[in-house]
Amino acid sequence: MIAFIVISAVLCAAIVFYGVVVWITERKREVPQDDWMGQAVATKGMRAKDIDAVSKKQTVMKILVQVGLYVFLVFMAIIVLFPFYWMLISSLKSQSEYNASIPTYWPKQFHWENYKYLFVNVAEDGMFIASDFDLKTLFLNTVLVGVVSTLLSLIVTVLAAYAFARLEFKGKNALFAALLATMMLPGELFTITNYVTVSSFGWITDKVGIFTALVVPFLVSVFYIYLLRQNFMQIPNELYLAAKVDGTSDLKYLWKVMIPLSAPTLISITILKMMGAWNSYIWPNLIGGNIFQLVTVGLRSASFQNAAGETLFPIQMAAVVLVTLPLLLVFIFLRKYIMRGVSRSGIKG
Amino acid sequence: MKKRIGMVLTAGILTCTMAACMAFTACGANKQKTALDEENVVEFDTSKPVTISFSHTQGQNLRRVLATSVAEFNKLYPNITVEGIDSAASGNYDSLRDLIYNQIVAGNQPNIAYCYPDHVASYNTAGAVQPLDAFLPGGAYADMEVTRADGTTEKIGLTQEQVDMFIPGYYNEGRAFADGKMYTMPFSKSTEVLYYNKTFFDEHKEDGLKVPTTWDEMETTCRKIKELVPTSIPLGYDSEANWFITMCEQLGTPYTSATGEKYLFDTPENRAFVNRFADWYQEGLVTTQGLNNDKYTSTLFTETGMNEETGQPLPRAYMCIGSTAGASYQMSGETQGEFEFTVGVTRIPQVDPQNPKVISQGPSVCIFKSDDPQETIASWLFIKYLTTSVNFQAEFSIASGYVPVLNMATMETNSVYMKLLQQADGKGNLTALAAQVCMEQEDAYYTSPAFMGSAKARDQVGALMQAVFANPSKIDEAFRSALEECRRA
Amino acid sequence: MDTERAQKPVLSKEEKKILWKARLSPLKAWLYLLPTLVVLAIFTVWPIISTVRMAFLADVRDVMGEQVYTGYDYLKDMGGMYDFSFSFENFAHVVGYGGFKTALTNTILLTVITVPISTMLALLIAVALNSIKPLRKLLQTIFFLPYVTNTIAVGMVFMAMFQMIGPIKSPTSVGIINNIIEAFGGKPVNWVKEGSSYWANMTVLIIYIVWNALPFKILVLLGGLQGVNKQYYDAAKVDGASRFRIFWRITVPLLSPMIAYVVITGFIGGFKEYTSIVGIFGDVRMGPPGSIGRPLNTMVGLVYDSIKSNQGEASAAALILFVIIFAVTMVNLYVSKKKVHY
Repeated sequence: MIAFIVISAVLCAAIVFYGVVVWITERKREVPQDDWMGQAVATKGMRAKDIDAVSKKQTVMKILVQVGLYVFLVFMAIIVLFPFYWMLISSLKSQSEYNASIPTYWPKQFHWENYKYLFVNVAEDGMFIASDFDLKTLFLNTVLVGVVSTLLSLIVTVLAAYAFARLEFKGKNALFAALLATMMLPGELFTITNYVTVSSFGWITDKVGIFTALVVPFLVSVFYIYLLRQNFMQIPNELYLAAKVDGTSDLKYLWKVMIPLSAPTLISITILKMMGAWNSYIWPNLIGGNIFQLVTVGLRSASFQNAAGETLFPIQMAAVVLVTLPLLLVFIFLRKYIMRGVSRSGIKG
Repeated sequence: MKKRIGMVLTAGILTCTMAACMAFTACGANKQKTALDEENVVEFDTSKPVTISFSHTQGQNLRRVLATSVAEFNKLYPNITVEGIDSAASGNYDSLRDLIYNQIVAGNQPNIAYCYPDHVASYNTAGAVQPLDAFLPGGAYADMEVTRADGTTEKIGLTQEQVDMFIPGYYNEGRAFADGKMYTMPFSKSTEVLYYNKTFFDEHKEDGLKVPTTWDEMETTCRKIKELVPTSIPLGYDSEANWFITMCEQLGTPYTSATGEKYLFDTPENRAFVNRFADWYQEGLVTTQGLNNDKYTSTLFTETGMNEETGQPLPRAYMCIGSTAGASYQMSGETQGEFEFTVGVTRIPQVDPQNPKVISQGPSVCIFKSDDPQETIASWLFIKYLTTSVNFQAEFSIASGYVPVLNMATMETNSVYMKLLQQADGKGNLTALAAQVCMEQEDAYYTSPAFMGSAKARDQVGALMQAVFANPSKIDEAFRSALEECRRA
Repeated sequence: MDTERAQKPVLSKEEKKILWKARLSPLKAWLYLLPTLVVLAIFTVWPIISTVRMAFLADVRDVMGEQVYTGYDYLKDMGGMYDFSFSFENFAHVVGYGGFKTALTNTILLTVITVPISTMLALLIAVALNSIKPLRKLLQTIFFLPYVTNTIAVGMVFMAMFQMIGPIKSPTSVGIINNIIEAFGGKPVNWVKEGSSYWANMTVLIIYIVWNALPFKILVLLGGLQGVNKQYYDAAKVDGASRFRIFWRITVPLLSPMIAYVVITGFIGGFKEYTSIVGIFGDVRMGPPGSIGRPLNTMVGLVYDSIKSNQGEASAAALILFVIIFAVTMVNLYVSKKKVHY
């Protein structure tokens, strides 16, 4: 309850301060200022004392505006963080506390066993059987798909980017333009046929097949090739020529010079690719059924019900926490690379 | 030179991959396998080893029962190896359907699979399912004999005596297809029954409370209970879809047809009963699983708690219509052998008690065509063994809560099962009580037509019931939308 | 090259080697590109051809010309039921289907509502972040957090936050969001349970989509702001222009390429909205319990609805979606060309 009062107070304060900021800016605008030059001239014509007063007033104003900005930002940050907070505290509540008509903003008692249930499939008073949510397998599957597809796709991308950046061949530019053009098409256009294709390959009836179907169609990302090619092109040609004179083979040059120099881009690609595996839903849900599930699919399809069919939200939230947490950790440690890759791509996952 | 290499390579790679694609896609097509029929009759060779695969959705304990029966079967046919396929689709029939659908495309379907009639209809768009008519009385295999390992002989086909062992409603489900052929054999079944709080009904006998047998009586009973316990929701009905389909069957109004216009359920009579039940819901007389947070209504039926804040009893139901397979969930809470109340089980309410209709549910099995006729015959021998074996049916029923597909007269020969039925009571042995009711109404089972889209029709009428219950004014929209969704392929 | 060689009849071993290497260079390039091209050919080029083909396939008819099955389905293909004949039947089925109108309306509504809201909010936050010093890094990180979360997982959290618990007529708990509304004197709203109104559902979706769309927009806009030359602001400050005026007259025009970028990608993303709805409502109902006809379905949802059972209609729907996205993007580019100051 105290937490609730604090939150409400902060919210109220935020709104009040935001109002103040708006009021100040509005009031400032009312000052006749048809002509910026005129304003400047008027300032110049003031006496020293006036200028002093004005600057004092400006300082006060500046502080007020700064406070307003902070309040606004903090208010928005609370909104952004609220779902995370709610997910965390809900995951630690008991079922009855979660269902209480007056919500508690801090668990009365920490029920860490909610997390345990996700792994050991035991029952809360004999009720909960998480038989349809096997977190260990889901994590393992997802990591496996993520690592294999990232490694393979890095190799494929590096080779292709190198060919486009360094090697000469007929039709290079036309081919590259054609590749870029495919980026324009929405993915749904490919998914339909790809579903038919992997079905007829027999890739969706057993674990190995589904694993292949989760990896192979997404080995090539034109965007990553583009990104890496740009990076490769920035590496001066002289280095390449010098290496050639030394008799260094292309592959060796690629490995010893180009890859180390483009490490940041490669790291960005790796992280985005792993995030993609972690977050992907549509394709794995389409082809994996419940034979080979990735973590998001498993989360969405699990019922989190007890034998009576009642949804156990705290346990569901615990699962959500465990699915969300790895990404948050990766983000906190590798923020720079993620933000860089993202600002250029605009794609999520 | 350069130019040529480049061009040749581009062209080469593109054509190769394209050709590969085409080839792969093409090889998906025409994987039609051969069927056994009157023209294609083959002897069964008991000396040649043959392996057959069986896709099902059984959990661990049922697999044990199956394994025992496979061992028994192997004493008769040591040359047949049965592989249970880990379909990873435990209990989920839709996943199994999707899986097999894809296996058919890839050409690696199993020999035998659990199925619902509409699954078979969709597999049959590719002509993948083996018709069983040749194995029925009068078919090509009806009199063909095979010598088993223990020296005895049996007819490969089903004899008339064996046909008569089945509960007719279950057996006839195998023919619910447009072409009139038999495609499935019943494996294990369940139906809906009315569970009621016997303790409560006994207590209020003087108030005129009696267990309803018709829908009109149901309405009076619900009103009465609501009067006695205002916080209650007297009736819980788990499956909205079953309710709709069963009402059509009881009223004799159209639902679907396997031929011609398929979706016939939008009739004034059907609208009338939907409206009537929606009024019940609005009055708080009834709720369904979909409108109960997807919780089985047995949660309301077994609820005895209080709201801690208000001190009012929590909403509870005194009657519940649910599957016999879920009987164990209808048992009341128990402390040291003392049950909070006794449960009664009876037939669901009827429109005409003289001509009762109850739904038949639960998996059947079908055989897929195979290039090796020996596999097909071996598969048939195996499913014939399972479906006609009194022991298997009894053990499977005890382990699963489903009921046998064989009639009472046949099941009476199994002493273990009969003992279980005799122990039936409304406390700890509710499953047996439900099974008893089930066996007693063996002439009442109906099956609805099976065709591509029959599952969709089922989903849609269920959604329709929910929608009208939640919003009675939207009945026109609900029917229109349900029809439209059905007609969409 | 041939003439060149004629002029140099004698070549050292080394020279010959280099020459051969040069000649093999294009071959090598193709070798490097081979994996990429194979994968692209199978999973990108072929789908374009095949999807268009499936979309224009006619329905299956029997000898009497009676329609047997609609659309293309590979299982029917195996029964040998398909000959290619060109027709618009799949498009007619899709457009004639009532769910199409629902999906199109939802998609357009969600896009035109969420894109302006999220862009405005992101712009405000980015400008505010850009004008503070302490705590900026921390706040920036917080605002980026939604980006690295799982759309489905957090959708489930939003669902839980808006969910009432217990029977709808006498809920045991109205849910946290309703509690906050009540704390401010409002009345609890049935957001996501059975019988909830279309706009209640849409509100939840809009809030979630905006929440989800903010981080990327803030990131891009903030990046843009940090690239703006400080001199513009200094000049404006000397002139004593109000913050508001600075914002509209300087910040927005200078940021216009970035704004155009987030708006265009926002529109494209908006038309492909799907997983956020699955996260909140689940892919079975695409609506609250007791609703009929998947009332919150979107265009992408329409494609996935029939992807397993009727690839012909799915393809037709995907092509329609593609045309819409293409047209909207063209309009966006045209407008931004006129309005954006580079």
